[in-house]
Amino acid sequence: MEDTLFWSRLQFAFTISYHYLFPQLTMGLAGFIVFFQWRYLRTKLETYHAAARFWSRIFGITFAVGVVTGIPMEFQFGTNWAAFSKFSGNLIGQTLAMEGVYAFFLESALVGAMVWGEKRLGPRNHFLATIGVAIGSWVSGYFILITNAFMQHPTGYSVAPDGSLQLANFAAFLLNPWGLMMFLHNQCAAVVTGSFVVAAVGAFFALRGKYTEPASVFLKTGTLAGLISCFLVAFPTGDRQAKMVAQSQPAALAGMEGRFRSGTNAELNIIGQPDEKLRQIDNALYVPGALSILAFGYDNASVLGLDAFPKDEWPPNIELLFYSFHIMAGLGTLFILLMAIANFQRWRGRLETSRGLLWALMLAFPFPYIATTAGWMTAELGRQPWLVFKLYRTSQGVSEVVNGGNVLFTLIGFCGLYFVLGVLYLFLIGREIGHGPGSAGPLEVAHD
Amino acid sequence: MIETWYVILTLMLILFVVLEGFDIGAGMLQYLVGKTEAERRMVIAAIGPLWSWHEVWLIGFGGTLLVAFPAIFAASFSGFYLAFFLLLWAILLRGVSIEVSGHLADPLWRTAWHTLFVGANGLLAILIGAALGNVLRGVPVGADGKFALAFFTDFSPAGKVGILDWYTVSVAVFVLATFAAHGASGLVRRTDGPVNERSYRVAGRLWIAVFLLLIVVSIETWHVRPELFANMIVRPWGWLGLACVFGGLIGILVAWRRKFEGALLLSSGVFITGLMIAGSAGAFPIMLHSTLRPEFSLSAYQNAGGSYGLGIALVWWPLAFIFSIGYFIFVYRYYSSKVKPAQDTQNPY
Repeated sequence: MEDTLFWSRLQFAFTISYHYLFPQLTMGLAGFIVFFQWRYLRTKLETYHAAARFWSRIFGITFAVGVVTGIPMEFQFGTNWAAFSKFSGNLIGQTLAMEGVYAFFLESALVGAMVWGEKRLGPRNHFLATIGVAIGSWVSGYFILITNAFMQHPTGYSVAPDGSLQLANFAAFLLNPWGLMMFLHNQCAAVVTGSFVVAAVGAFFALRGKYTEPASVFLKTGTLAGLISCFLVAFPTGDRQAKMVAQSQPAALAGMEGRFRSGTNAELNIIGQPDEKLRQIDNALYVPGALSILAFGYDNASVLGLDAFPKDEWPPNIELLFYSFHIMAGLGTLFILLMAIANFQRWRGRLETSRGLLWALMLAFPFPYIATTAGWMTAELGRQPWLVFKLYRTSQGVSEVVNGGNVLFTLIGFCGLYFVLGVLYLFLIGREIGHGPGSAGPLEVAHD
Repeated sequence: MIETWYVILTLMLILFVVLEGFDIGAGMLQYLVGKTEAERRMVIAAIGPLWSWHEVWLIGFGGTLLVAFPAIFAASFSGFYLAFFLLLWAILLRGVSIEVSGHLADPLWRTAWHTLFVGANGLLAILIGAALGNVLRGVPVGADGKFALAFFTDFSPAGKVGILDWYTVSVAVFVLATFAAHGASGLVRRTDGPVNERSYRVAGRLWIAVFLLLIVVSIETWHVRPELFANMIVRPWGWLGLACVFGGLIGILVAWRRKFEGALLLSSGVFITGLMIAGSAGAFPIMLHSTLRPEFSLSAYQNAGGSYGLGIALVWWPLAFIFSIGYFIFVYRYYSSKVKPAQDTQNPY
């Protein structure tokens, strides 16, 4: 049982983190593709046309990997978390099914037409198909985040006589305030990822001195959208999110900050290493009172530490939670800085000629992926030891009939498959970037 | 309400099997009907940009099963743990091979992905068939409503069964043949030239095999679960299913002889739909039959989700279904014509 729990958690964490590398890019790129197509329809400039087609091809490959890595996610609720599925299926099934029949149906029906069907559909319907895919990808994110929000902050449920959870108020469940804020925070982060990738490809072409017109478009739209989305991720969405954690999950906040002792005028650790045994932060560099301000708005607010909670309600991995949160927040701050410099240079008309900045933009694209993964680790590790916050422990949710060895076997299988898939993905995307936006794209293809 | 959800789930499964069954079946026959690279690419093109749209019906089915019958969802997927991951991995490899094979014109690259594509499709058909066989035969559900299955035990379909026994293997072979026949019929409709002719010939042979296997599997099923037939013939839904099965078979015969291409694909779909309606009607309300003791069987009535949640879902589900018909019409207007042999340019360079 213990083994099954551990390996099942690791398998879910691995498969979901890997899967989410792809949807965050498609959700982030969707808006860019709609924008480029719209600009093309308005201006008839070939650069925008090439830009839209180039990013559609990248979208297509990314979407396909997102689909095939996403299918195991829903079914893992049944295979590995059977007890949890039985306990809360009447609620989480609503949003998981709605994701399928509303978002995924829309996306998957239209994505082929968007990537391959421009000539066949004509400009107007092709643009409609693109908008449909964009809407589908964001709606999909909403339903998944509402599902997660129920686990973080359950609303709209009642407890049935057999102990299982039943839907009691659909509006409260579907409009969970926690979910709404998470959705905004998460979608802004997806736009950050998309912006960094668009800007990085633009910087690559600019440094190479190739495709200068599309490169300029990528750099300008990428850095502008990047600056806006980086700000929105931090404020108001990230800030509001942190305040909600402070309100509803004080133990998670204490873990995120490595705060072992309660008290007023709480300090914010900029760096440090939590030591769970000695209950202290090693080599801490902190700002006094800042955590009180961030969490509650004034500097002498009392912030609970882990000492205020029984040990079995502590998040079980304080170190990882602390590092995840600090990596996310630290990277988010650096992103604002980088994008602010890029926009300053753009304003001066020097964006495409500052080689140092172009190098930084080109190499920065992996970091939003790290930041989003760390952000999700913060949310999920902070929720522990609960599967549904304060209602159901993670250890209760695992499938009783599945042995740990079987889960380890499938986890290793996923590692192997996903490694190959990752190599393949990078190869194909590298090829698309190598071909660039200038070449004749797939105006018409075999899908006929 | 519970009956309605049972019907909705059957409908989603039928749509998945009919739509994806064509993809799987056509994919298995890629080398049989495509002798040149261009012809093999036509098979991929016939599956077209819509494979993921076909596959999402499985996702939709999974989510809907979770909301409507959480305990059945939990028991079945954890009980089939390893087999289910094999299925997921086959789906993954199949999807990847469709998407990437066209990206390079290199013959080795193409052959490698095509081989994986054919193999994954064959494996998928067998796994889906074995799953169907298990649901028909029953699984060793215990008093706690749970079960765990070995891949095989003593190959007998009673008592402590495994996933594979003589009954489930023969159902798997039947499903393999049916998907292949359905895929060939679809390829007749969607292609021209030599691929069309070969698919037409293959479809003829496969439908004869399906017909013979249907007789065998029916007799076996009558032996393993006699109550399925007893229920089927006293229920209107069972009659509808049987009418579709026989109507579909007659349609296939007539359409094949006269080479009515559209009618052949349609009859094939009606035949598969009929089988699934008849089977579901015969099984209701038992969703997972216990091979250990009948009273351990998991029934739709005892395992449904709360009525408020099911009532709410009855509002959003039909709405989504209407939307999906809309996308279907929007997309199929552009993708229902035949694939032309000259057009193979999924690789744009």
